[in-house]
Amino acid sequence: MDSNNSRRSFLTTMSLGLVATGIGAGNAQAFTLKNPGRDKQDPRYIGQKGKRFGMVIDLRKCVGCQACTASCKCENNVPTGQYRTYVSEYEIGVFPNVRKAFLPQLCNHCENPSCVSVCPTGATFKREDGIVVVDDTVCWGCGYCINACPYDKRFFNKLTKVADKCTFCAHRVDKGLLPACVETCVGGARVFGDLNNPNSEISKLLNMFPTNVMKKDQGTNPRVFYIGLNDEISDIPVSEAILDDLAKKIDKTPLAQWSVAYEGGK
Amino acid sequence: MYDLVLNTIDTITPARPWGIDIPNYFWFTGVSVAAFIISSFGNVFGMKSYKPIAGFSLLVAFVLLVAAPLNLIDDLKQPGRISNFFTHGWENFPTSPMKWGVLILVSYFFLLLFNVLIFYREYFVHAYHCTNNKFLKTIFKIASLWRIKLGEAQEQKNHKIGLILSVIGIFFALSVEGYTGYILGATHGVALWHTPLMPILFLASAMVGGTGLLVVILCIFQRFFADFKKIDYDMVDRLMKLLAWFIVIDLTIRFFWLTFAIPFNGEEKYALMRFFKANLTETILIEYILCLLIPMVIGFVSKLRKNLFISLFGAAICSIGVWDFRWNIVIGGQSIGRTTPGLLNYIPDFWGQDSIISALSNWGIFIALLCLVMAIFPWDKEMSKYYKQ
Ligand code: SF4
Ligand code: SF4
Ligand code: SF4
Repeated sequence: MDSNNSRRSFLTTMSLGLVATGIGAGNAQAFTLKNPGRDKQDPRYIGQKGKRFGMVIDLRKCVGCQACTASCKCENNVPTGQYRTYVSEYEIGVFPNVRKAFLPQLCNHCENPSCVSVCPTGATFKREDGIVVVDDTVCWGCGYCINACPYDKRFFNKLTKVADKCTFCAHRVDKGLLPACVETCVGGARVFGDLNNPNSEISKLLNMFPTNVMKKDQGTNPRVFYIGLNDEISDIPVSEAILDDLAKKIDKTPLAQWSVAYEGGK
Repeated sequence: MYDLVLNTIDTITPARPWGIDIPNYFWFTGVSVAAFIISSFGNVFGMKSYKPIAGFSLLVAFVLLVAAPLNLIDDLKQPGRISNFFTHGWENFPTSPMKWGVLILVSYFFLLLFNVLIFYREYFVHAYHCTNNKFLKTIFKIASLWRIKLGEAQEQKNHKIGLILSVIGIFFALSVEGYTGYILGATHGVALWHTPLMPILFLASAMVGGTGLLVVILCIFQRFFADFKKIDYDMVDRLMKLLAWFIVIDLTIRFFWLTFAIPFNGEEKYALMRFFKANLTETILIEYILCLLIPMVIGFVSKLRKNLFISLFGAAICSIGVWDFRWNIVIGGQSIGRTTPGLLNYIPDFWGQDSIISALSNWGIFIALLCLVMAIFPWDKEMSKYYKQ
């Protein structure tokens, strides 16, 4: 009898406590299945309904000037030594048939982004217009998305201490402007636009030229398309890091926590 | 030849998020699971020969699990935002092993806690009745889960609840190890991780590491901290034999893993060949020969395992090997470039977050907690019950 009473009072206290917590949480909008910004229908989190943004990079036109890299860093206040977009430089072929190649890289704003599905806080998500963004007020910095991205396109921002990556300059796009890299592109290699609009420049380019995406077999359906992407470059993991290593060795670049191995492959 | 067609002149080093904390975390959870499963040999499956260490290994499992998540918290870049994990992002529940994994981890913690309290309830009830100190009385009452009755009926009830909790506990223990495997296995961009075998690979190697650790800790505690101050050689012998069988299972799964990943796959094959080519000597010498094959031989050859020193060496070395395996998986997996050529190097920081010192501190916390818990719980009284018979 005694224990029955105490059990009952324990259960009553528990249930009252839980209800109170529930009401408190509800009021403060603390508990959300999605993300606070999306629950509040904040346009920055919802994006432009009916549109689907993407980018075409015409590798025939890229001159490797890194103007895109610089403008992105200025526009988005990307910390020193970190990059949302970058143009890698390669040497293709075997002497004497050697040529240089450039590969501008950025987040692919994948249709099925692996970074989004693994995020345990919902901090990273896809807007309705397909732009994949990170809510830097929610991310708890677990790094799961950084490892899940098959394209190495994420990093921990040294200033904000959360996951970061290219946003297609969503803040500019929402005002009707172009992403900073596209606007600056010296060679006119980067073309940005709405894939849902058949009259947009990007749709026309996609109709006109054969294009390729990085690591198609990953099943993420990237929305950054390349014209003239060389198979040897998209198969990067099987190449050696020879010249890069050498340069770093000669420059005596101090080893960071993670760095490219100095000797070939080791 | 194919390797030399492309050279990188200039690119950026890709970011890698997980350092020394993560293999350490995987090791702690793994060996906790193993210790729990070994405790259930006596507790749930009624194997008499394992009964003397049922309580002891349950406590070891509990302490390991308390220490494990500290690594995770240290690894977070925004540890102050832990609540965000519970309040946001539920739409990713099915696709984020980290999301459901942490919930499993939390449930497993409570299950272990109740398991431990139920297991030792009888002792706390006795202690409650033997003291007049009000404060101690309250503590013992809490420890005995507010049930201070004694008697046959109560004991039977205890046993029944303990059994049910242990059975559920086994399910959660397997899930805890399974989810850590899922976290890595689901990451399809990383060639070394992307295999459905990862959860059982982690479980098998955890059983190896956990059994090894248990042998070492058991010998230390029986020799120096128990009333009877005597090592149970039969138990060491038994555990070493068990260890050898766990190594066989572990090696079999590794065989399937590597023989599927390397010869047949497309792009993954090249990445893995590059990785193993660069790390072959270390992997073969340390991970396989020193830390698996030698302990396995010790476990199977009765003359060797009867020698306490050799057994202890074998047990310690394979537990270290399992740590090394987790290190090679986590760090090695991240060292493989995804859109950059070659492999990356990782050198852990000495100080600060996610550093050698923080991993060592975690070990310090584990040892301190182990001493505290072993001082509070009457594991030696429980153990000596079996040795008197
Ligand atoms: S490229 Fe990587 S970061 Fe960008 S959407 Fe795809 S998976 Fe996510
Ligand atoms: S680092 Fe942030 S955005 Fe990435 S998975 Fe973790 S919580 Fe999500
Ligand atoms: S600004 Fe344009 S041309 Fe210059 S590197 Fe970038 S993509 Fe190439």
